[in-house]
Parts: sequence; C-alpha cells; structure tokens
Amino acid sequence: MNRSFKFILIICMLFAVIGASACIGEEKDGTAKDAGSRENSQELVVGISTDVSNWYLNMFAAGDSRFVWSQVYETLVRLDSDLNIIPGLAESWETPDEGKTWIFHLRENVTFHDGTPFDANSVVFSYSNHSYVRQAVLKPVQSVEALDAHTVKFVLEKPMPLPFYLTHIAWPVMGPGCLDEAGNFIKPIGTGPFKFETQAKDQEIVLTKNEAYWGEKPLLEKVTFKVIPEATTRVIALETGEVDMIVKVPEYDVLRLDAEEGIQVHRKLSTFTDFLQFNCDKSPFDDTRVRQSVAYTIDTETLVNEVLEGVGVPAGGRPYSPVMMYSDPDLETYTPDLDKAKALLEEAGWKDADGDGIAVKDGKPLHVTLIVSKGVWAARHNPIAQVVQGVLREVGMDVEIKVLDEGAISKLESTGDFDMILRSGYFVWGPYPKHFFVHHSASPYSHYHNENYDQLVNEADMTVDSQKQEELYHSLQTFVIEEVPAFYLVHEEKVVATGSSVKGYTISSEDPWLNLSGVYLERK
Amino acid sequence: MWKYIAKRLAMVSVVLMGVTLVAFSAMYLAPGDPAEVIALARYGEDLSVSQVETLREAEGLDAPVHVQYLIWLSHLLRLDLGKSLVTSEDVLAEIRQKLPATAELAVASLLISLLIALPAGILGALRKNTLLDKSCMFVSLVGVSIPNFWLGLLLIWLFALTLHLFPSFGYGSLKHLVLPALTLGTSMAAVTARLTRASLLEVMGQEYILAARARGFDENTILFRHALKNAFLPVVTFAGMQFGYLLGGAVIVETIFSWPGIGKLLVDSIFARDFSMVQGCVLFIAVLFSLSSLAVDILYAVLDPRIRYDRRD
Repeated sequence: MNRSFKFILIICMLFAVIGASACIGEEKDGTAKDAGSRENSQELVVGISTDVSNWYLNMFAAGDSRFVWSQVYETLVRLDSDLNIIPGLAESWETPDEGKTWIFHLRENVTFHDGTPFDANSVVFSYSNHSYVRQAVLKPVQSVEALDAHTVKFVLEKPMPLPFYLTHIAWPVMGPGCLDEAGNFIKPIGTGPFKFETQAKDQEIVLTKNEAYWGEKPLLEKVTFKVIPEATTRVIALETGEVDMIVKVPEYDVLRLDAEEGIQVHRKLSTFTDFLQFNCDKSPFDDTRVRQSVAYTIDTETLVNEVLEGVGVPAGGRPYSPVMMYSDPDLETYTPDLDKAKALLEEAGWKDADGDGIAVKDGKPLHVTLIVSKGVWAARHNPIAQVVQGVLREVGMDVEIKVLDEGAISKLESTGDFDMILRSGYFVWGPYPKHFFVHHSASPYSHYHNENYDQLVNEADMTVDSQKQEELYHSLQTFVIEEVPAFYLVHEEKVVATGSSVKGYTISSEDPWLNLSGVYLERK
Repeated sequence: MWKYIAKRLAMVSVVLMGVTLVAFSAMYLAPGDPAEVIALARYGEDLSVSQVETLREAEGLDAPVHVQYLIWLSHLLRLDLGKSLVTSEDVLAEIRQKLPATAELAVASLLISLLIALPAGILGALRKNTLLDKSCMFVSLVGVSIPNFWLGLLLIWLFALTLHLFPSFGYGSLKHLVLPALTLGTSMAAVTARLTRASLLEVMGQEYILAARARGFDENTILFRHALKNAFLPVVTFAGMQFGYLLGGAVIVETIFSWPGIGKLLVDSIFARDFSMVQGCVLFIAVLFSLSSLAVDILYAVLDPRIRYDRRD
C-alpha cells in the first residue's frame, strides 16, 4: 500500500469516527429540549447540584437528592414553610404515656404511585429494621406495629418527641412496591405529588404529575431536574432560560441576579448555621477564656456583610437560627470587643512578650490550625476561614488554614489532631433538638466534655412537654454562649432563583425541601 | 507489525498490573478510615460505631490489604470490576455508561485542536518572524496561559448568555458538544501550534530540504512531500498523549459543562473513598492510555519509513 494513501486513510478514519459520534449526538437532539420547545408546556426545569444518589430507604439520600425526594415521597408529619409542624400522611398523632409510645392516625384514601393503597403496613415497612434511619437515628425505636389499617404504633425505649423526627424528608414512607419479590429495589414508589419517570445518571431526572394525588393537585405536568454541579453554570443556565429554577444560588450572585430583569431571587432564613468547632480536649482551647476570646474577636456582622454580601444573618455565637423552634429571642449574643478578647487571653496566660504580635505562653507561641472542608460548603467556608484567620491575628493568634477532604477531616477528628474545624450545622433539619448532640460527650464528633451540658441535652431530648422543652433549649443556648464549645458564626439563608415564567413559588425554611405546590408556568 | 503489536499488548498488561497495584495501595494510604467515609455517604452523619464495623465486615474492608487486592484481581480476571461501595451500582456498567460522553468530547477536542494548531503552526513556520507568525504565537501563548475553567466560563458567557448560540450545559446533541470541546480543544491547540512551528522550522533547516531545493523542487512540494511528514512526528506523539489525557477525563471542563464523563466520576469516587469505583476508573483510563500510545507508535511507522518495527523483531 502506498504510504501517502495510508496516511489519507487514517485521516479519513478519524473523520469517520468524529462523524459517527456527531450523528449519535444528532439522534438525541430530537429529545433534547431547549427553551424554545417548552413553550406553553407546564414542564418546570430545575437546576440542582448533585444527582439523586439513591432512591431507597436503606441508604441516606445525600446532597440534592432530597429536593427530588420531596416531590416523590412524603412523610407522616410535615413542616410548613415557617417550620410549624403540620399533618402529612398522618392526620393526627398522640402519646398516651408522655413520649414513650406514639400512635399515628393515617390519612385514608391515599394511594401509592403504583396504585396500591397507603396503609399502616407501608409505614411499618418503611420504618422496619432494614431502613437506615432505624439503625442510625431512630435507635430508641423498639417496635413499629400496625394497630389497624390506618393506625400505627411506635414504641420507644425512652421518651422522645418522635413527630419532629418524622418530618425529615430523608426518612419518608415508601411503597412496598419499591422492591421485587426477591427484595431487590426496582423503582421509587411514593405517595407524593409527582411520579418518577426516568433518570439519566448525572444528567437529569424526569418526574410527571401524579393525577391521583390526595392533596392539592400540582399545576405542573412535568418536572425535570437537571444536574449542574458548578454553581456558576447553574446561574448562567437560569439566565439563558435553559432552566426555570435553580437551588443553592451562591451568596456572591444574589445581589446581581436580584437586579436582573425577569429573575426572581427567593431568600429565607434556613436552619443551617456555620460554626467554629473547638477541640476542647487540648491546649489552647481547653481553656474557656481562650474560646471566649475568639468569640469576642470575630465580628459576625462584618462577616455577613462583607464576605457573604449581606446574605445570611450574623449569629454572634447563637447556635439556633432565629427561624427555629425554641430559638431564644432574648439570648445575649457576642458583640466584638478586642480589648476584652486580649484581656481574656492574657488571663489565660497568653501574652505577646517579644512584640511580634503573636501571644506566647510558657515559651510556646499561640499557633492553631483551622480545618476547612473541600465539600459542598467550600464556596462559603473558604472566605469565612480567611477572615477568621485575619482577625484572630489581631489578638495574637496565629491561625493556619488547612483545606482537606472529608476523609482526612474525619481522621483528624478521631485522633483529636486539630484545633478548630469550620462546619455547617449538620443534624439541623427540623425544629428538633438534634444539633445540641454535637457537643455531647457521647458524640463521636465532640471534643467537649461537660457533665452539666450532657445532662441538659439528655433531659431536653427526653422531654415531650413543649413548655419544659422550651425552657431546656433556652438554657442550652445560654450554656453554649457562656461556655463556647463552638462559636456560631452565620445563620444561612436558603436561596432559590426562578425565571420570569415561574409563578406561585413560596420558599420554605427547611433546607432540603422544595415546595412545588401551587407553582405554574406562564411563558411569553 | 502484528508481532510488534502483540508484543506491545503483552507489555501493556504488565503496565496495567503495576497500575492496579498503585491504584489499590494509593487509596489505602490516603488519610481517613474508608469504612467510616463510606458509611457517612451511605447513612449520613448520624451513623454509629457498630454500623461502621458492620459495613467494614460486609464489604471485606477488614481483611489485610494484600488479601483484598488478590480478591479484587481474581474478580478482575473474570472481567468483574465489582460494585460501587457507595451506591452499590455495577462499576463496569457505570463506566460503560460514561464512555460515549468521554469519547465524544475527547475526539471532538482533539479534532478542534488539530484544525487550529496545524495551520497556525505551519503558517508560523513558513512566515517566520513576520507579524502573522508573531500574532499566531502570541495568541497561542495566551491560550496556554488561560486556565480551562476560566476559558470555559468565558465561552459560556459569550456563546450561551450573550449570543444564545449554544446551550451552557448538558449532554446529548452536537450543540451541547461545541462549547466543552472548544474549551479543551483551544487550550490544547495552543501547545500543539507552538510544537508544530518549532518542529517544522527544525526540519526546514535540515540538509535534505536544502538538497531538495538544490534539485529545483518548488517550495510547496518541499513542504508537503518532504518536510511536513517529518515535522509531524513530535506532534503526533503529543496529540496521542493529549488524547489519552482527554479520555482520562478533563475533570474541570466536565464539571463546568455538567458533562457526564469518566473524569468527574473518578474524582467524585476518590472523595467518597469509593474504592471499587476508583480502581475500575483508574484501570480503565490506564487501558485507554496504553492503547492510544500504541496507536501513536503505529502512526509513527506510517509517517516515518525509517521506523520499521517488524525488522527489529
């Protein structure tokens, strides 16, 4: 074969491969939707940051899965957009013995997406031992049994405000039709306003209207969730009209989007709070005065205004976001006072002797590490960490920032080889007290040990009476302000942005919940 | 030639054995208890110690590393890459599902880069030190210096947001392919163009070109029949390596454009300590890399008559 002929042949083959791949693309073009072809349809396209990691209750629904879950699945008890507890799949509930037994009266005439009726057995199925929530969170639940077709009894080993727990969308009621006869998961079957249709991994999830929905019927015919991991791309996709709605809008885009014509930014205080967790097991943070000194140094108001462009609410040390139940409105939070901060440090023995700006005790300079995660909160946490580093230098604390992935952080946590970690308020989903366990001695994440605190948390967790609960939670908040096992920085605002055609959307405080009831499209 | 290919394939399998060993041990050397990280992903933050232990036992993570490695290898011989530790999905199926997107992007980017780089490099060499040459090289310098993510966002801003010509994200049609391929292709083109220019200049200065000139061939014949083929040798090597890199996945570009490729799958799996998925991806990428370098060697033989693999065997 002639050599130049071979060369030409190879070039031709290269083009053929490219042509073929282009054709594959062309074929799919018919199904690909852009803004133009959606005219007049009631198909809402939502940009989310991660794909649905799983659909079944044997695993945790991580990331943005829950925005999708909340359309397909429902819980026994719900929270309204202001976090008030309201009936869900259960119409009412009662506890005959101060919280050790809970009886739920279920809604009748509700059917799952596959047509099977929703009844007590499906609740037993969803909260049986194979669900991860029973193994992880609801460990005190001893048994779940059906009293009749529409009544379910939960028996606990200790009193607990169970209904609050059951509001969480990651622990919903699923239809037994999710599984085949061999017990393998086949498809998601819930009772929610939308039915699962298709999922293209890491691309999109399509849901269609559940015509037989028991509650207020959705106005949308179809909801397509597009997976767009990069926040900037998500924002642009909204601006180009490729999607109608995006969740998790980054703080630095809020003001700009708000000023844009046709785009609406919905903001609401959520239950998440960023905080600096101290390692109270070792020096220097084993001294309460040093922790208090940090609290007096960091101006959380500046943090919100300068770093987060006004999105969020300064916490000043308060663990509970003001939107949460039992958040103490009269709680005295920290206001910055550098002189006091320095005095507290000196009292604890840390003093700048050689004038280099770094405090020293027993010949050891005040050098601490601040660990920041590479995870989903990184966009907000990185600049916050830098500001914290900057201001703590002013009182003589030399902070080294370490950006690590979750695996590395959990390693350092278990070995106790850290000083501070910047976190977002995990465990805070509803108005229930879970978050205070973070600083409980028994928590694997806690590096704080205080018997009085443990006792308060235990008592609060087992109290069902709401007035007593409120008192206990108020005293816990005061405790955290005084003892500072962690310094709470910013209460997060949840931000959802919608295009001009989206009408009727109400944002809810609950972070991983997307309320599409009453939403419709008016395309021009 | 066939003998050579067979020999190379045998060598590739040795290399792959090494790759599996490195991939396996690297994940274990990374900080953090894998069982704990996987349990976190599966069960959320509320997990208990007993759950972590149950998972460790169930997934065989309690066995010594070399035992785990041997078990994995024995599965591999049956072409079984196992299931994802985090999502329980079949690793091979997952990779196979991501392959079309990755291949499409890699081929298109390579094509774009060659379409830009070859003419630019040749023109630069032929019109050495003119304004045209200098501006070509300046543009390519800018191209090398601009980070991919920045270029990607600029392209989105221009072509999606301002001109409404192409979608800003997603996968499925030729239109979706344009911006990510352009992002990757142009940054690669910058290096390739400089390489082409330098290589062609070197070849043009060699004696056999002078001899050809002396024999009275016109410049076009000299360029196309004598110079280009030799000048392309380093370019082919580079393009082949780039192709391997593209198949491995251009993570940042895949993330910006929500392109469901293997690169992003690999990075996500690393963060989730999803061992089986990471090992599967690494192995797969290594295979693709080895095959593309084999393809480059074969191309060499086509381009340069002095390289004859058969004779050496």
